[in-house]
Parts: sequence; structure tokens; C-alpha cells
Amino acid sequence: MKKDRFERWLNDIYTTQEDEISCTECFDQVSHYVELEFSSQDAAAAMPQVQQHLQHCRACREEYEALHDLRQLDEEAKGASLEDLKDSIH
Amino acid sequence: MIDTRSNQQWQHDLNAGGDVQASAIADLRNILLRAALYSFQRNLTDFQGLSREEILQQAEDCAQDALIAVMDHLAEFRGDSKFTTWAYKFAINMALMTARRERWKGVSLDELTDNREDAFDEKEFWDGSGTNTLERSAMQQDLNRVIRQVIQEDLTEKQRQVLVLMVFNEVPMDEVVRHLGSNRNSVYKLLHDARRKLKNGLLAHGFGMEETIASFEMDR
Repeated sequence: MKKDRFERWLNDIYTTQEDEISCTECFDQVSHYVELEFSSQDAAAAMPQVQQHLQHCRACREEYEALHDLRQLDEEAKGASLEDLKDSIH
Repeated sequence: MIDTRSNQQWQHDLNAGGDVQASAIADLRNILLRAALYSFQRNLTDFQGLSREEILQQAEDCAQDALIAVMDHLAEFRGDSKFTTWAYKFAINMALMTARRERWKGVSLDELTDNREDAFDEKEFWDGSGTNTLERSAMQQDLNRVIRQVIQEDLTEKQRQVLVLMVFNEVPMDEVVRHLGSNRNSVYKLLHDARRKLKNGLLAHGFGMEETIASFEMDR
């Protein structure tokens, strides 16, 4: 693998904890985590195990990022409409 | 899209029966379809070769599956987020799984899992670029050797298989789950155990975190 990926992998290895939450537990808590971020709270400090899981699990992280960004669009009240989104598929 | 219901109203309306419930379900379905389309839009390259109609149909299917999942889990909503944020995650989960499946369809994972123990005999884990000094190079060769040793001697066959697929070949978890007929929790656990053994192996051989990672950064 490329060196930067190898470095990321090393970092992943060294930041491994004895106990980590499962994907199901992360899914269960991730909406709360996102909501804390939008209420100006330190979500990572409040829910360190979720933050840790998101760091190590690409599948859960991608879902978290989409959730966060969609929530952001709602916050700005400029969320694309259903029709806009359909038009963007081509 | 303006969400006109409070969390309490969502919970009430979705359980109400009659027209109130039907209207709430229709609104919920639109919210889920929007989340599915949003997730697809971020990953459109995964859908190469599909027509617009086929993609939209897949988004409808995701929304429908997510709707069923949301209704099944409604009693578990604790109100620790906006209801819509909680509901979105079901649609995003379905949509991103669908996108990954499209991207990886036709790829044989069997061909990627050359996880015989001797497959690692000569393996270098990075492409070897950027080693400036002999000393550092020797240290990095040692690091390679320890990683090889842990993979060959300490990991179980399943842990090795998941490591090869997900770390060395960047196969998404959901595809590995499908390939193994397993579930996300079990695959995550296999990878977690592999990471734990690698960490303990590196520390036991004197490769502390800071100096090991720093040795790569110095090469820049």
C-alpha cells in the first residue's frame, strides 16, 4: 500500500482500544452524536466511544458524514428539495 | 424541506391510525426518499452503467425499506435527536449499502483473498518509498518483519482474511459481510481483534507509537 495509507493503518493500530463498541451500538447512538454537534457541544468528549468507532470503521464513518451533512442542510434551511435531488441524478 | 412536526407530533401521528397516520407516513416516506437520493448523489460514480430511471427506482426501494425499518424501530426513538435526524440514518444506511453493492458487483472477492500464511513471506506493507537513511531503512524493515510475524503467527485465518480484504484491498465492509455471509458486528470484531494483536505485537517488540509514526513523518 502507499505510504500515507500505511501510516493511517499504523495510526489505526496504535489507537486500538481493548473495548470498542459495535457497528450496531454506533448506529444506535450516531443521531444523538450528530445532534450534540449541532447544539455546540463537544460530541467527541461526551461520546468518546462513538468518536472512536467512527475513526476506525469506514462504513459507519461514511454514514455519519452523510447524516451530518444532511442535518447541516436542514439547519441552513436550504435543503435541496426532492425534485432538485431527482434532477441531480443523471 | 421544512419539517413541520415536533418530535412528539411525529411519534403521535405515526401511531395515530386513520388519515393522520397515513399523512405522517407519506411525509416520512418523502423524507427518507430525500435522504436516499442525497446519499446517492454523493456517490453517483458507483452507479455507472445504470440509467437515471434505474437509479431513481433504487432510491425508491431504499426509501421503502427504510420506512419499514423506521416503523419497526419507532418505539426505540428516545428523543435524543430531531426525529428526522434519527429517521435519516436508516435511509442513509440502506442507500450507502446499495451504492457500495453497485460499485463492487462483478468483483470476485475470492481472488483477492490470498491469505495463505506463506503469502506474507516476502510481503512489504508499503511501497518502500522515501527511506532516506540506512538506519531508518533498517528500522522500517524490522517493522515490516514484526507485522508479517503477527499476521502469520498470531491472527486466526478469519482475522487474516478480513484484514486482507478490508485493509490491503480496501473492500467495503458490507461487501465483506456479504462474501462471508456474516454481519457488520462480527466483521468489525475480527478486524478489531486483528488490530489489537498487531498493536500488542508492535509494542512487545519495542515499536512505540510516537517514535514509529514519527519515523515515517521524518521521511517527508
